[in-house]
Amino acid sequence: MEPSTSRFSEPAHDTVETDVLIVGGGMTGAGIMRDLALRGIHSTLIDRRDLCAGASGGNHGLLHSGARYVSNDRESAVQCRRENVLLRRLARRCIEPTGGLFVAIDGDDPDFAAAFPQWCSVAGIACELVTPDEARRLEPHLSERIIAAYRVDDATVDPFRLALQHVAHAGSLTGSSYRPHSDLIAFDHDNDQLTSAICRDSRTGALLRIRARQFVNAGGAWAGRIAQLAGCPDVHLRYSKGTLLISHDRLTNHVVNRLRPPADGDILVPGGTVSVLGTTSLRIDDPDLAVPTVAEVDRNIAEGAMMLPVLATTRYLRAFSRVRPLLPAGDDGDDRHAVRGFALYDHQGDGLTNFCTITGGKLTTFRLMAQQAADLVAARLGNTTSGRTDTTPLPEDDSCRWTEPGAAPRYWHLAGNRDDMVLCECEMVPQSAIDEIVRCAPGAEEEMTLEAIALRSRAGKGPCQGSFCGIRIASYLYDRGHYRDRTGLQHMRDFFNERFKGMRTVIRGPQAAQMELAEALHCGVLGLDALDDEDDRDPLTQRLETGATDD
Amino acid sequence: MAAETPTPIPIINFKQQALQLLPDGASFDACLTCGLCSSGCPAAGIENMDPRKFIRMAMLGMNETLSTTPWIWCCTMCRRCQHVCPMSIDISQLVLLARSNWPNDRKPAGIVRSCTLIRSTDSTSAMGLPPEDFVFVVNDVLDEVRATQPAFAHLQAPIDKQGAHFFVNQNSREPMSEPDEMVPLWKILDLVGADWTYSSKGWAAENFCMFAGDEAAWYDVTRKRIEAVDDLGCSVWLNTECGHSYYALWNGINRFDLDVGFRLESLITYYARWIREGKLPVNSDWNRRAIKFTVQDPCMIVRKAYGESIAEDMRFVVRSLVGADNFIDMQPNRSANYCCGGGGGFLQAGMNEQRRSYGKRKFDQIQATGAAYVLTPCHNCHSQMEDLADAWHGDYHVVHFWTLICLSLGILGENERTYLGPDLLALLD
Amino acid sequence: MTKERRHVSCQLAVVGTGLAGFAAAVFAGNRALDTALTGNTGALAYTTGYLDLLGAMDGGGPPLDDPWQALQTLQATQPEHPLCRLSPASIHAAFTEFTSFLGSAGLNYSPPGRRNETVLTPVGTLKKTLCVPSTMAPGTTALTDKKPCLVVDFHGLKGFSARQVVANLGGSWPVLSAARLVFPGMEHGEIYPEVMARSLETAATRAHLAELLREVAGDVTTVGLPAILGIHRPDRVRAELEKLSGLRIFEIPTMPPAVPGIRLRELLEQVLPQRGTTLIPQQKIKTLSFEKDAVRLDLADNYGPIVIEAQAVILATGRFLSGGLAADPNGIREPLLDLPVSQPGSRADWFREGYTDRRGHPINRAGLSVDDSCRPLTAEGRPFDRRLFCAGIILANQDWIRSRCGAGVAIASAYRSVEQVRQLLGD
Repeated sequence: MEPSTSRFSEPAHDTVETDVLIVGGGMTGAGIMRDLALRGIHSTLIDRRDLCAGASGGNHGLLHSGARYVSNDRESAVQCRRENVLLRRLARRCIEPTGGLFVAIDGDDPDFAAAFPQWCSVAGIACELVTPDEARRLEPHLSERIIAAYRVDDATVDPFRLALQHVAHAGSLTGSSYRPHSDLIAFDHDNDQLTSAICRDSRTGALLRIRARQFVNAGGAWAGRIAQLAGCPDVHLRYSKGTLLISHDRLTNHVVNRLRPPADGDILVPGGTVSVLGTTSLRIDDPDLAVPTVAEVDRNIAEGAMMLPVLATTRYLRAFSRVRPLLPAGDDGDDRHAVRGFALYDHQGDGLTNFCTITGGKLTTFRLMAQQAADLVAARLGNTTSGRTDTTPLPEDDSCRWTEPGAAPRYWHLAGNRDDMVLCECEMVPQSAIDEIVRCAPGAEEEMTLEAIALRSRAGKGPCQGSFCGIRIASYLYDRGHYRDRTGLQHMRDFFNERFKGMRTVIRGPQAAQMELAEALHCGVLGLDALDDEDDRDPLTQRLETGATDD
Repeated sequence: MAAETPTPIPIINFKQQALQLLPDGASFDACLTCGLCSSGCPAAGIENMDPRKFIRMAMLGMNETLSTTPWIWCCTMCRRCQHVCPMSIDISQLVLLARSNWPNDRKPAGIVRSCTLIRSTDSTSAMGLPPEDFVFVVNDVLDEVRATQPAFAHLQAPIDKQGAHFFVNQNSREPMSEPDEMVPLWKILDLVGADWTYSSKGWAAENFCMFAGDEAAWYDVTRKRIEAVDDLGCSVWLNTECGHSYYALWNGINRFDLDVGFRLESLITYYARWIREGKLPVNSDWNRRAIKFTVQDPCMIVRKAYGESIAEDMRFVVRSLVGADNFIDMQPNRSANYCCGGGGGFLQAGMNEQRRSYGKRKFDQIQATGAAYVLTPCHNCHSQMEDLADAWHGDYHVVHFWTLICLSLGILGENERTYLGPDLLALLD
Repeated sequence: MTKERRHVSCQLAVVGTGLAGFAAAVFAGNRALDTALTGNTGALAYTTGYLDLLGAMDGGGPPLDDPWQALQTLQATQPEHPLCRLSPASIHAAFTEFTSFLGSAGLNYSPPGRRNETVLTPVGTLKKTLCVPSTMAPGTTALTDKKPCLVVDFHGLKGFSARQVVANLGGSWPVLSAARLVFPGMEHGEIYPEVMARSLETAATRAHLAELLREVAGDVTTVGLPAILGIHRPDRVRAELEKLSGLRIFEIPTMPPAVPGIRLRELLEQVLPQRGTTLIPQQKIKTLSFEKDAVRLDLADNYGPIVIEAQAVILATGRFLSGGLAADPNGIREPLLDLPVSQPGSRADWFREGYTDRRGHPINRAGLSVDDSCRPLTAEGRPFDRRLFCAGIILANQDWIRSRCGAGVAIASAYRSVEQVRQLLGD
């Protein structure tokens, strides 16, 4: 095997050391980090963007009961059932036990509906028949055309809070650290060992060498690429793009699933104060090119409205796409038929003894995936402690509490401090939350981007999608000295650009009014569309700038 | 006696209720969260609440906070937030909903007491003045005027006159506390030759049942007053110088989908008409010292009801009375005017500190005009602005229209000058 | 209950009380046309107060110093642009007439000049505009002359940071510093510019603030404040504050909800009726029908139904924010008359991928197509009705956001429409 990294061997960059380097800050990576820490092992977690930037953050937030998979993937169904029960107990604050409904509509395959309870029973999944009328009493928005309904133990999970708390817990146990926006560009080898990884800070371009004894690839949809950097060509994944929508309101209390073989727009999941509708499924070749399209949005809405007619007229705030990493299996062309299991590669066959890859799977089974990877890593390190994530409750950490919808105003109102200004008015995020995040949230930095703050709070998640609070939070960060020059304006612009990606395909109805106001403000007034050349626009400014000093 | 443990306030699901309250073309989920509502709301900041926060908390499901916040008694439901909202969202509906949800023993006692008193007699008087006492006071004052003011030896104050054109209402404060203040009104009606009557039943103007959020009581009072007008067969229910009395009846009729055979009109409209027609030959010649006047637009008859037309009538009357050069408008004004903080039952709610903080904006508005007098055809505005002058150390006075009309006409009796400052009193000497 | 339908009869009805609608009412009033004006005023309250004519060419390009020359280019490259419906000389006349009106009503503006002014934004970037409120104009002078300057912000005022303004302008403005004050009487909690501005209309607050400013200014003689210098007579508030403090004072616009827009709105709502316009504020037209003898507009205010009968109508209902256009899933619609809307082929084409793309989004160029007289056209390309005209950013073939031409389009097309109405009624 050819070492891939000789050009980075000059000592021109900082070096840090850790026992285990975990690549990929999705739920699996964060889970491995905590699992290792519970065994007393120090790790460093890196992500080229930030926590849950891939499929972990881009999903329904559905903690499956397992019922979704009973018809075609019993193993996943059983795994989901077990993990669902565990997580509800151990990560209580990240989970809302909403319960779920499976509903069939006039025209859906009655045989599928009839077989459903039997399939559930085989997988050990609780499933209760309810009449269509009862179902509508539980969820008044349900269609009149329901012909069958079952109640199951689906729940919802806030993956961001879950990941943040995992990272915070690992940090408190072993001092394990998390580094966002660290793009892995190469590994150093020494025979059958990887010795270090080279990362580039995607914001500053600075290089960093991370020395470690063990290396874990938890790159999700990007795991194949990461494995290749390590010289392992055998991780083959298929990429299935799914597009989901977020509505302005929470439309149901339960998770509502369509009782039919998995298809487009067949699940609506409450997410705190909103609902998430999805998903479509489309094979793509490049996981970096997953953006929602208007056609996918319309498809989701049309299908979803069959179950819940209100979905045709409700106000949507954003749409997003995620890439499911699917393991190769029998290929009939429909990725929904692929099994949703996961795989752990030890890469022994590639001649490496301290590198492994874990990928596939789904949010609900992240803990199990993390445990299996950590078992391997611990064994390779000679650590004989067994995994404890199935028994250890996830502790609370104040700095992680701001992602919960509707929580910020409760804390703020309880504190009753009128000098604690609410900066994000939609989700009512006060400046004290921003202070706490910038000071001590996992991944906190001196000059945090607005996106990073938004990931750790509800800022920018409401109807204005950050168009006002982006300005207010930036000006607050200038006030506090976190932003000191024009890069603060770039952070603002980048934040608005990022929020727009999600809004672009759902701008219609009232959202068009919101967008017009936002764009008039951001571009028409503040000139964020012309930021790059603003310094060139005024010759006098330019001339003086060269000779001027900043006081 | 109040119960030892107060009744808990039930928790409302505001979002669910909001969906059922959708006003025409504006829904709560259309909010752009721009903040114009809060920027323009005098209650913003009181109890750490403002209209935008109220909407957002409703949408975020903070039902317990909203169900129990005392802010709903500081919001006067003046609907200025809706007036400045590009999406025309009406937050006052949610506030009224929250008010109606409070158990009676938790609501501000002053408002509840006023509503109870309104229902305690056929007068519908918030001060509990029974019909016979009202009749007595009116006749007593009338006798005295006839005896002491020779020009008005034949003054009339008809009560229960069948078929009169105008059914005239009266705020209870006059017959109860300052009966002489009724006289200028009688003189004006006499002068223009109006065919009018009081009624011994349903004569009172005020309706705190609406402010209490007590729908059943509001309906009850509305019905009683409609019956009183119908009993006498009057064509016009003429609302005198009281703001919410108009709104409570007019809105009550619409809200409860009642059918009435008479028109609801404001005395302000008639002042303007009578001046234009020459029936009230007022002029401003008396104002030789160029004393400055401003006018307070009561939300209840301007923004929430008649709109610009009555605001314009009010200004026409004031200019005619004091001289165009001596009239200075408050800013903002007309439909955009601020509530004074006396509305919505705030004056009766016992939350003085909050009420005065709310009213600071009104006080600044008045101060900015530099006017020595504020004219307003609303009792709550009147009382609140007087109180604000005390609380924030202003040196203006508040007067009724009828006082100034009679002053201009030279027929303001000795006992009818309570609200005049020394400068105006000096002019009369 | 007896409910009377109120009737208004007039020569011209203007639908929409944004900048275009108000400008149309101003121009109509100046031409002695009997005018009724109605509409929802919200969006106007969001403006900075700057009146842009043309700050950049459509589709990107550098900020423009000479908008008049750029208009010539526009004539050649985009003859369909609403600013090309009238000559630069007429546009100049329209700006002059409109700003003179505002000045005569107590809100002074710099007259339209030969070049764009460079003005400050709330975050310390710079912007090109044509006419500047006189409360803000000294900021442009201070910027050009690089005068030593202090930017002041206030405890409790969110979204305006003096440190931010200084951080972003300091590189080009050698002696620029920041300070924070507690606004008199507003020691705690959140405060709004509107409330501060109202308070500054009282002598007591002005005296108090002047004292605070004097103390904090030190040796510096020029001070920039967020736009809070009164709503009603800002020039007087500024003059008195300058007199009391001995400082040169200017305003920097703030993010919404901001004072300059509220100023414009309240001023126009007050002054137009005084000058004879019938104003029915904060109401939306329900139906607009073209009858043989008159155009009939039906609406209702809180009190009840109103009918306006007019000889001509100017539609100035704005875009999505004001309800002049509706973004339905199946396409963009003009909801009042269902006029054909020029628009991209499908919803997928409304927006580009990048939000701040310099080329602007295709949806921004959607709108009503008009003839040279500003009359909306039917699908067949004929005027919808000879009595119907159209003004403001509802017009197609312009991107007011990217080209910084919102006020320009509003004022110019209002001017053109009113001229055409006068011609029609004079016939």
